[in-house]
Amino acid sequence: MTWMAPRTVAEAVRLKAEWPEATLVAGGTFVGILTRQGLLAPDDWISLQHVAELRELSTGSELALGAMVTHRRVELDPEIAAGWPGVQRVFAAVASPRVRNAATVGGVLGDADYASDPPAMLVALDAWVEALSVRGLRRIAVADLILGHYQTSLEEDELITRVLVPRGRHHVTYRKLRTRSREDRPCVAVAGCFSDGRVSVVVGAVAERPQVFPDLCAAWNPTDGASAREIAAGYADRIDPISDNRGSAAYRSRMIAVEVRRALETLAPAALTTQVAGG
Amino acid sequence: MTDPRIRAAIRYPNDLTVPGMWHIRLVRSPHPHARVTGIDTSLLPQGVVVLTPSDVEPLGRYGCQIADQHVLAGVARHVGDPVAAVAAAAEATAREAANLLEVGYEKLPAVFDERDALRAGAPLVHDTHAVSGSDAAYFGLRPLEGTNACHRFRIRTAGLPQGEPYTADPEPDDHAEGFDGAEVVVDETFHMPAVQHVAMEPHACIAGWRDGRLEVTTGTQTPFNMRQDLAGLFGLAERDVRIVCPPMGGSFGAKTFVRTEAIAAAVARRLDRPVRLALDRDEEFVTLTRHAATVRIRLGATREGRFVAKRVWCWVNTGAYADCGPGVAMKMGYAGVGPYRFDHVAVDSWCVYTNLPPAGAFRGYGAAQSVWASERITDLLAAELGVDPVELRRRNLLVDGDAFCTGETMHDVHFTELLDDAARAVGWQPGGDNRGKGVAVMLKGMQTPSRAEVGLRRVGDGHYEVLSGTTEMGQGSARAIAQLAADLLGVEVDQVEVPPPDTDRVPYDTRTTSSRSTHMMGRALEAAVEDLKNSGGDHGHGRTANEGGLDPDTGQGIASSHWHQGAAAAAVEVDDETGVLTLRSVHAASYAGRVVNQAAAELQQEGSMIMAIGTTLFEELTFDQGQVVGPNLSDYNIPAALDCAALTQSILEVEGAEVHGLGETALPPVPPAIGNALASLGYRPTELPLTPERVLDCAEDAS
Repeated sequence: MTWMAPRTVAEAVRLKAEWPEATLVAGGTFVGILTRQGLLAPDDWISLQHVAELRELSTGSELALGAMVTHRRVELDPEIAAGWPGVQRVFAAVASPRVRNAATVGGVLGDADYASDPPAMLVALDAWVEALSVRGLRRIAVADLILGHYQTSLEEDELITRVLVPRGRHHVTYRKLRTRSREDRPCVAVAGCFSDGRVSVVVGAVAERPQVFPDLCAAWNPTDGASAREIAAGYADRIDPISDNRGSAAYRSRMIAVEVRRALETLAPAALTTQVAGG
Repeated sequence: MTDPRIRAAIRYPNDLTVPGMWHIRLVRSPHPHARVTGIDTSLLPQGVVVLTPSDVEPLGRYGCQIADQHVLAGVARHVGDPVAAVAAAAEATAREAANLLEVGYEKLPAVFDERDALRAGAPLVHDTHAVSGSDAAYFGLRPLEGTNACHRFRIRTAGLPQGEPYTADPEPDDHAEGFDGAEVVVDETFHMPAVQHVAMEPHACIAGWRDGRLEVTTGTQTPFNMRQDLAGLFGLAERDVRIVCPPMGGSFGAKTFVRTEAIAAAVARRLDRPVRLALDRDEEFVTLTRHAATVRIRLGATREGRFVAKRVWCWVNTGAYADCGPGVAMKMGYAGVGPYRFDHVAVDSWCVYTNLPPAGAFRGYGAAQSVWASERITDLLAAELGVDPVELRRRNLLVDGDAFCTGETMHDVHFTELLDDAARAVGWQPGGDNRGKGVAVMLKGMQTPSRAEVGLRRVGDGHYEVLSGTTEMGQGSARAIAQLAADLLGVEVDQVEVPPPDTDRVPYDTRTTSSRSTHMMGRALEAAVEDLKNSGGDHGHGRTANEGGLDPDTGQGIASSHWHQGAAAAAVEVDDETGVLTLRSVHAASYAGRVVNQAAAELQQEGSMIMAIGTTLFEELTFDQGQVVGPNLSDYNIPAALDCAALTQSILEVEGAEVHGLGETALPPVPPAIGNALASLGYRPTELPLTPERVLDCAEDAS
């Protein structure tokens, strides 16, 4: 077994190019479980624990989170809470403080686990990631990053270095429906964002990747309760949910209709105010 | 002094190593029922030793109540049944070799549901049912040959027809003897699924042979049963088996009787060297579970709300091996009657084999399943009568001098006070609007008959050693015993040592179960201190026994020499659209007699309630063709800190009373208290856990 512990991003991407099969370890909350269960038994590892650059965090015209920033830091940062409340709320909703102290923002996207909280919100907020390799840097929208169960559009030699979220006059809501422990993952997660006259509702944890239907969202009339109900019914109709220990497909379908409607109802007052203010 | 648990100063069985030991990995059946047709070892590397079913067949069968288990299964009876053991000097080698072993199987038909297993034509899990010679087969076992029922327990109070032939009945007929005086009758069937104990430390043992003696160091609540059963298997005198029990990292019933120790002992004998066998988390899920059970109850009363008759049927799913399932079926039978007066009681409880992982002891032993049913049906009757559920219980609860359904006279009972305490804690309004609130009461027996012995030794100036077979699993028994001994000896608690049990050193004790140890060891210690004072002050020996037992055909006799008594109340809210149930307040009130250690007693109460929350809201082992779905702690949730905010508890003490155990009392009443609270909001829950999905399904206005 080879355990590589680079100290710079440049060194990390060089190692990833040389050892494309090596497993990346960020916070270890995901690969740790898989390894422990014998589902993952790689010969080579690249740990990002000592890459200080990846722990940088800045708030300006956009929120820039180094891939190794922990969930807990996002949760407790007052500037994030003020400028990007949706980001703060969704990372605070993950598991328990012990997990949030270790789990990282790059890790949770790289895992592409359908049952994680953050992806739905990051899609709703039009966030993107920077993927770096020895070949160069590219930007990938989070919506295009997660392709399926544990599958991303990252190339073998790429690693996520930053997660970026634009600043905006967002009104957000995050609805996490838990069916078991309060520290469990969501059975149905709904991230809603109203910004610049446009609403985006993304449903997570129900299918292999976050589910969003812009055509349904575009038809929203916040003055009409029936509109929210129709959009929610449309989401329930179009999503073919999975069954797992958190809920059957039938229950999830029913809950998508409830939770999408509730998310829109939560955003309606803000949407109405904005529309009135905007004339 | 900081608790050694916090200083990481305890060496648990899973931490132990001995020089020269090898490591064992088990090869497990992927089929729920299959005959092993061949084992191909040709792919295995050098330096690996394999034990197969035919190697261990001459050892015969073992089992604490029914002798139904081989050391390795030639016929696998559940997914995960060990069919071979692979040993190597390095654990990684053993692990790799176990994956390379090719096992051939001939699949056999399987059955999973406890009632399906009793239907005509169901596949038989075992061809015959041989009653065990073990001390743990302490009551009359009534296996029904040619069926999957390995035991049937029955209660018939005087005045009801006696002596009907035994049958294995999945759908009992509706004869209603004893219900003549009942003006209102309710009848419902309830279910509780299997769950796992999820002790933090998995099963781990080290076995070795020295001069023809077998020595096993293991986490077990039952060192003397273990000694007897292993001696029987290996043809040894009991004195030639030594069981050493370091403190366990939790057990909750999972570490009882022979689990992995027989395999380890057989491999050690073959290798002539010590071996270690420690399970992975996923293996825990196929090693022992809590019995899934279906319980049907019919309850009849007068219009004024006086209980007249109760009929209880329990189908107890013990999985592939009986383990202590017959005992669980017996206790489930009488716990389902509850602490109430009746003119007539009839109970039939079947312990049923299926092709699921074996079920055994679990905190709340035998009571959790039938108390769920019994206390839910009490509220169904209250609703039918239009009587306040607390008031209905108060009219019928047993008081001192009343006879229980077993015929025994109840003494030192406090059910009414406990019920009132619990109801008050959630703001119950007598006769008022109690929507969203529910209560429950229960009784649970202590192991009867049983005996305990204890030795006491002076070790230098004013210091003493207590030699006790009571095992430590985090419940604080060693501290409680030290405290009891110190009080009796008139010394400080730090002048008393209580070393971990070693059957070569400590005298006999039945086992550390059924919340009996503080009570029984306390009594034995009184005798030991008396003996020490009368015999020069250096040595003392004390023994005590509680006598009794039930006739398995009539259920009459002494079920328990004293009773664990508890009540619970809950206040809940429900989201009618999602089915999410939120606990506002849950309170458990238990009777302690006299408290030995206040902090430890409260922790036991809280621990029981936390496990009860899991059972009530989300814990459930699900199976796909007999295979556990998601045997890991991500797919299988247990309660976490945030789930426990609503829990409170109280302990009822009575001046001059004897010590009662408190290890389990606060578990069984919690699920029905929450279920009854939910029911008051327009739901009819019969199955646990109360997942949001199940809540929606049991809404009374659900289409």
